[in-house]
Order: sequence, then C-alpha cells, then structure tokens
Amino acid sequence: MKVRIDALTRVEGEGSLEVFLRNGRPESLRLSIYEPPRFIEGILRGKPYYVIPDITARICGICPVAYQMSGVQAVEDAFGVKIPEDVEKVRRLMYFGEWIQSHALHVFFLHLPDFFRVPSVLELSKVDRELVLAGMEIKRAGSLIIQTLGGRTSHPVSVVPGGFSHLPESLTSLKEVLEKALDKAMWATERLAELHFPELELSNVLFVSLLEEDYPILKGNIHLEGERISPRDFKDFFVEFEVPYSTAKHAMTKDGKVYVVGPLSRFNNAFERLSTLAREMATKVGLEPPVRNPYRSLLVRMIELVHSLERAVHMVREYRRPEVTRVKVVPKSSEGYGVSEAPRGILWHHYAFDEEGRILSADIVPPTSQNQRVMELVLWEFIRRQDSPTEELLRDQAEPIIRSFDPCISCATHFLRVNLKYA
Amino acid sequence: MRVGVFKFSSCDGCQLAFFELEEELLTLSEVLSIDYFLEASSSNRWGKFDLVFVEGSVSTPEEEERIRRIRENSKFLVAIGACAVSGGIQSARNFQDFPELYSSVYSQRYDVNPHSKPISDFVRVDLEIRGCPINRESLREVVVALLHGRTPQLPSYPLCLECKRRGNPCVVVAYGLLCLGPVTVAGCGALCPSYKRGCYGCYGPVEKPDLQALLEGYRRLGLSEETLRELLQVSFNGYNKSIREWL
Repeated sequence: MKVRIDALTRVEGEGSLEVFLRNGRPESLRLSIYEPPRFIEGILRGKPYYVIPDITARICGICPVAYQMSGVQAVEDAFGVKIPEDVEKVRRLMYFGEWIQSHALHVFFLHLPDFFRVPSVLELSKVDRELVLAGMEIKRAGSLIIQTLGGRTSHPVSVVPGGFSHLPESLTSLKEVLEKALDKAMWATERLAELHFPELELSNVLFVSLLEEDYPILKGNIHLEGERISPRDFKDFFVEFEVPYSTAKHAMTKDGKVYVVGPLSRFNNAFERLSTLAREMATKVGLEPPVRNPYRSLLVRMIELVHSLERAVHMVREYRRPEVTRVKVVPKSSEGYGVSEAPRGILWHHYAFDEEGRILSADIVPPTSQNQRVMELVLWEFIRRQDSPTEELLRDQAEPIIRSFDPCISCATHFLRVNLKYA
Repeated sequence: MRVGVFKFSSCDGCQLAFFELEEELLTLSEVLSIDYFLEASSSNRWGKFDLVFVEGSVSTPEEEERIRRIRENSKFLVAIGACAVSGGIQSARNFQDFPELYSSVYSQRYDVNPHSKPISDFVRVDLEIRGCPINRESLREVVVALLHGRTPQLPSYPLCLECKRRGNPCVVVAYGLLCLGPVTVAGCGALCPSYKRGCYGCYGPVEKPDLQALLEGYRRLGLSEETLRELLQVSFNGYNKSIREWL
C-alpha cells in the first residue's frame, strides 16, 4: 500500500513523493525526480570551450548565472587565465542579481503561499497584496541587475570566459530601484518573522558551503567539518550515486555522512561575513547560527536578500566600467574546476579540454542532487511519526518541507555519467 | 477563458515569463482562469482548456502521450520557447550517436527517446512564441491579443532589422564576428550584437532561412561549413524543421 503525490507543485521541475505503508504505518518513502534527463554533459563533449556559459545556462532558467559563473571559472582555471579585480567585482554584482531574483521568486511566489495556507501567489495576493507586491519589487530589482549587465534575466548573453563581452558605461539607473528594494526586503523580513514555523530539525547533517573573504558567493574553498577543500579535490570528499527511482543522483560525503548545501549552510558557516544590515536584521528577528529548522530557511533567504541588496547598492554606487572587460583566453590541453554558490548551494563544474580547447569531458554537480538525500531524511523524520498518512497530509505538510529546500529539479536532472578520457 | 501551462523537457525558463509579468499577472488572473500551472499553484484542475501554453520538448514516450492528451483537450495551443518550437538544447543530441551517449548514462532504466523533438512534430500547434527563453513582452502580446480576439503581432523578420533599428554597428563588419542574425527571427531586441557578440540563434530561424547563402557570405571570413553546422546545432534551435534537413 502506498500514498503518493504524483506531481510536486511550486517547485522548479518535475518530481513526486511516495510513502509506502505496512498495516497503515509508514515503512519507507521515496522522493523521486522523474524529469527526463537532458544529457547536457554529453552534449558538451566535443564542443569548443566558449559554448560552456551559453549551454550550461540552459540547465536552469532560474539560476543560469550560477552555471555561467562556475563554468567560466572552470575554463579560466584550466587555461590559467587571471581575471582583473574590477571584472570579478562585476561578476559578483551580477551574481547578487541572481540571488535576489531567485530568492524573491522562491520566497514569495513558491514558498510563502504554504505559510498562509493558500495554493498560489495569486491567491496570496488576495490575502496580503502589500506583501506580494513587495516580493515582486524585490524580484524586479534582481532581474534588473542581470538584465542591465547581461541583456536579459534568464540566460544572459554577456558572460564569456575571460570576463564580459561588453559592459554598460554606467549603472546609476539601478541605484534607486535597489535602494527601494532593500527597504522592502527589510520590511518584509520583519513581517515574515511573525509567521508560524513548525518545529523540525536537521540532525546529524553537515552544513557544507564555500568559504571566502566575504559571505560566500563567487568562489573559494569548500568548508566541510572545519576542513577546507579545494574545488579540485571535491570528488575526494564527496560522492554522487544513482538511486533506482530518480533521474537525479544523490550525494553524500565519502565517509557516508549526509550533508546539506544552500542558505542554511552559508548562514551557519559564515554568519559573521554577512553585511551589517543583514546581521542586524538577523539579530532583530532572532536568527542565529546554527539554524537547523528547514522551515526557517525562508527567513535565512530574506537575510541573504538584505545582504545581497546592501552589497549591490554599494557596488552600483562605486561602479566604473572596467578598462578591460575581457582578458584573452588561450586554450591548451588541460583540466579545470569551477565552483560557486548558486542560490540553492554549491555548484561544481569540472572539464577536460584538448589542445584546441574542445571539451573532452564535462562533469557538473548541482546543488539539488546534493540536497536530495537530506530532503528524504527530514521528510522521513516527519512521516515516520504519522499514524496513517494520507495524500492530503503529504500535500499540506510534507510538500512544504520539500519546498523549503527550494529544489531545482531541472538542474538535478541534466547529467550524464562520463568516463574521463584525457588526451 | 480556461488556461493551462504545461512543462515538458526544459529548464523552466519560459514559464518564468509568466512570473515576470508581475502585477500584470495579478490583473490577468482576474480575467483568466489559470486552471493548471504546476510551478505556480498547488491547486490544479485538469479538463478542457481554451488556451494552453506548452514549454519544453518531447523527449520521452510519456511526453508523446501527454502532449496528445493535452492537444485533444485544448482549443488553442501555444508552443513557448526554443524547446517547444525546435527541440531545445537537448536536441543537440539528435546530431550525435545516441546509443553511445545513452550507454554512458545510467543503466537504461529510463525510457528516453533518441531524439528531442518540437511539439509540432506530434500535434498541431496554433502559435509559436520564439526565444530561449521567451520574453514577457511577446507573452503579454499573445495573451492580450487572444483575450481581445485579434491575431497576435510577433516579428517574423530577421534579427538584422532589429539590430539596425537599435543603431548597432554590424558585428560581422565591425569586429569580424560570426553572427546568425541574417537567418534568425527578431524579437530579442538584438541582444547579442548589443553586447558585442554575434547572435547565436536562440530565437530560431526565420521562415525560409537561406543557409547556403549565409555560408557563401561567411566563407570570406574563413568560415567552414562544419563551423556553421556546429553553430546551428548549439543554437537551441538546430532541430527546427526549417534547418534540420540542412544539418
């Protein structure tokens, strides 16, 4: 006997949840992702290195910039390209744009309806229009950053290995929009802090994120139980493996521990590196590391929104178009690694190239496949306590738990297992 | 008007255009009944639809069956974006050795078609919105036009016209870049040339793209036929009906 949700809603991509019962009691569960594989890594093989930002962006419409940033950094790592500081700063700004639009989309459009027990943002707008409009304004600010720097919000066109194909002369038009959005984000954080967050705890789970000088976003080493792991050594510490019921892989640490990536991990590992306003706001709403309740990731995302907006306002004020927007990239036979903090957590790329810069192999580990294990674990924590779970219970209470991880299912289901063949 | 939004193999980027409408979406939802839209709502009703939007390509037997069922229940079907219109980035596999590609994937457990194909290979499509992804302006135009019972006005002319209107220098002439502008349909606002790169064709081909003429023209820049093929295959529209034979 089983109960089942055929299609998860208000998440990116296609998945389902099944709970198997014995004598009415839950025996096991499966979070299965059935989005058809798209073979992106296979498609990349044989193609020239410069198609990486355009092709990998298409893995996900919500976080294309993350794919572009991890991708170009992997190319630059392979070919020994050093990016000027002012160009790297613009990359950060663009990435903040993506965090802002993606977090706002997730918080207000996809997740918030759960807390108000309504089915959609459209219904939510009838209950609390002011809150929805604030969410839209915040999201628009993020979109505007990406659009200004890259032409359009989804799959921007200016990001190339070596920098940007072109950058605008001035960003002053963004200033006011971002400042207003920052005000709205602070206002909304206080409002959302009043919501009811059911008790639930991630136990025996490691919080894994990047670490860099600032709150992690663009690059850095991977932080795992106090150790700092270089992107190059990722596969020595983490394993990906198939499960029979999902088109996306699961991941664990090499010694069999469950880990989580994303806002909770970043917040717990790098709280002191948040912007001043973000830290103040966290204190004000009573958030301090470690946050273990996945429902509270909604608030952590709001704190990251405040952080991103504050940083972005500052960057826009300071912006001067870099003298050189793009440095020369000369391909050679080599390998490269790139890792960055997508809105949902660390996103790792690895490529091997031939002497002309053609891709011999591609390996991409997205955040959602890393989080699948922990999602199942915490769902099981919840489900095993239920006497006779019904479909309604799954819909109303288990699905919101899944949503709290902001799964990006298209991302998780792009993969192709490759046997590395080096030239 | 009963509306449905459906997803097939894709990145979800085109559905986002609905969210990008923001306040307008709230207004539209007062005149439209959005009955089915998994990414936007937890309350979905299957039934007869007056208007459906389909994102994504058909790349599994299940998707073949599902698109037929949706068509049977829809009065007007709009394919949105490069995946639905041309097969999308995943159709780059159509030009590769699929058994080889698949055998390096997990253990043949999943029923996946060798080819990723446009919706129009399976059912009648009433209208196509181009782009990878589509933009909210064209989505708005289509929704508003259909609400008022008029024909939506979407560009059918080549990107070059749009690029000239924007006052860009031609990137082919000025920088010697390869640009698919002459055979690509307008609608994006000539983004790539505005960011000093050649158009890579993400809005797909104009109605009768003269690829041979494009190739002859580009030979002067030292472009080989092979390079043009490769460019078209990763244009996200390589399996569009009007270019796949040439490839």
